[in-house]
Amino acid sequence: MIVAAAVCPSPPLLARELTGRAEVLPELTGACAAAAGHLLATAPDVIAVVGAGQETATWDPDDRLDLSAYAPLPAAGRPVTRQPGKPGLPLALGIGALLLDEAGYAGPRILQAVDESAPAADCLRLGRDLAAAAPRAALLAVGDGSARRGPDAPGYVDERAVPFDDAVRDAMREGDMAALAGLEADLARDLMATGRAAWQVLAGAYEGTSRPAAAIRYAADPFGVAYLVALLS
Amino acid sequence: MLMDDVAVATSGARAAREPGPLRLGRRVFPAHQRLVMAIVNRTPDSFYRPGATWDAGAALDQVHAAVAEGADILDVGGVPAKPGPEVTAAEEIRRVVPFVEAVRAAYPDLVISVDSWRHEPARAVCEAGADLLNDTWSGWDPLVAEVAAEFGAGLVCSHVGTLTPRTRPFRPSYADVVADVLDRVLGLAERAQKAGVDPARIVIDPAHDFGKNTWHSLELTRRLGELTATGWPVLLSASRKDFVGETVGAPVDGRLAGTLAVTAVGAWLGARIFRAHDVRDTRQALDMVAAIRGDLPPARTVRGLA
Repeated sequence: MIVAAAVCPSPPLLARELTGRAEVLPELTGACAAAAGHLLATAPDVIAVVGAGQETATWDPDDRLDLSAYAPLPAAGRPVTRQPGKPGLPLALGIGALLLDEAGYAGPRILQAVDESAPAADCLRLGRDLAAAAPRAALLAVGDGSARRGPDAPGYVDERAVPFDDAVRDAMREGDMAALAGLEADLARDLMATGRAAWQVLAGAYEGTSRPAAAIRYAADPFGVAYLVALLS
Repeated sequence: MLMDDVAVATSGARAAREPGPLRLGRRVFPAHQRLVMAIVNRTPDSFYRPGATWDAGAALDQVHAAVAEGADILDVGGVPAKPGPEVTAAEEIRRVVPFVEAVRAAYPDLVISVDSWRHEPARAVCEAGADLLNDTWSGWDPLVAEVAAEFGAGLVCSHVGTLTPRTRPFRPSYADVVADVLDRVLGLAERAQKAGVDPARIVIDPAHDFGKNTWHSLELTRRLGELTATGWPVLLSASRKDFVGETVGAPVDGRLAGTLAVTAVGAWLGARIFRAHDVRDTRQALDMVAAIRGDLPPARTVRGLA
């Protein structure tokens, strides 16, 4: 049974160690902290972090983001946790784990990767399974909107990007899980929107429940990537 | 000839000391920190922008600018290095002391260095609040070290070969210029310690161009690691000097890029203080090297991380 959920983006710059001497996007980090706090406040039995990966797989809950993959000479901070020869935790899961750590969460967690190209039906099923993982399960869906929102965006311009992200934001604000379930995987891939599969897992987790109440805490694209932070309950 | 017997006292190998924090004035600088020493000349005739800060107001303005641009240390000079009209000790004191007092009043914690080789001005500037005696002429007056000890000031131990103050090199030659520099500066450091100078306040300086031709200064730059390996903090003073100009074929006002190249190489090889006319550019070059080495995080990184 799902008791609460949150949506957060997954830019590496959410890891403080990666942004140099400057704090970048404090509003976004604040919103993400609020999202993690929202989950903790419901005292869940388990928090499932879900994010896109190469394949659908469950990771060791003790795994963490390998910062050295982004900053080979870490200026400071957390030790490298990746085992030599082993692939590192997918970015979205690493960011999710980081947000839970920063919120002080030490309870049970599931780190669930979802195949970035998984069809909607598979994502929905995975969501149902995660919701059933515990009497009181919380979900943190980590992923981003389009990275093609303008000439300065990582993926340059795609005119479909803004309507796509607006539709996701509106669906999230309304708790409209059917709209999330209906997102097109191919379009999302074209738009470099890494959050699509995770959002559909979220929709699956709320299947069979009443429409969740939702609040948007952040929706902007300071670097051409749509970041969305939402709280659902 | 030199006035002292350092060469006799310094033969033989010395054990490297552990690089430690550098103490200057009230400040303590860890070994990995690279410091900019901003040059402010109280002279009418120094080689770069002669007379630009001869006026006391202009000199103070330059101090404000240097501090804003990231200077850690100020190096005040009252006598040009090149030959020219005599500047008596009394005149040097007149040029420098009121200025040191004014800077000290405006910046209680700023490290003030004074470029001087005579003990009378050295004593006067220490009384006025100077923290470091930049004895560019290589211990020509041994009493300068005594003054540093007496006031708890720092001392720069430099190398000028066989030169006396305010003279130009005439066909200098060395079997091994780096060995000669090491022998001299380590000998002076030893002498300074014996005189009672706090070892945490001693700096060594190969003094590019002083008693050297351009080939010698290039060799010193190339092998600067042999100086930093001694564990003593190394001062690199290369800003717009002739060896840079001869190397890149540029007059004084066209030597910034060459200077910054020397700065970067020196920083990479472990020098800790960089005497500079161009504070902002030097600060940037040093921060860049520090980030490459991993000693300092970049200012702000978002590229590819959004």
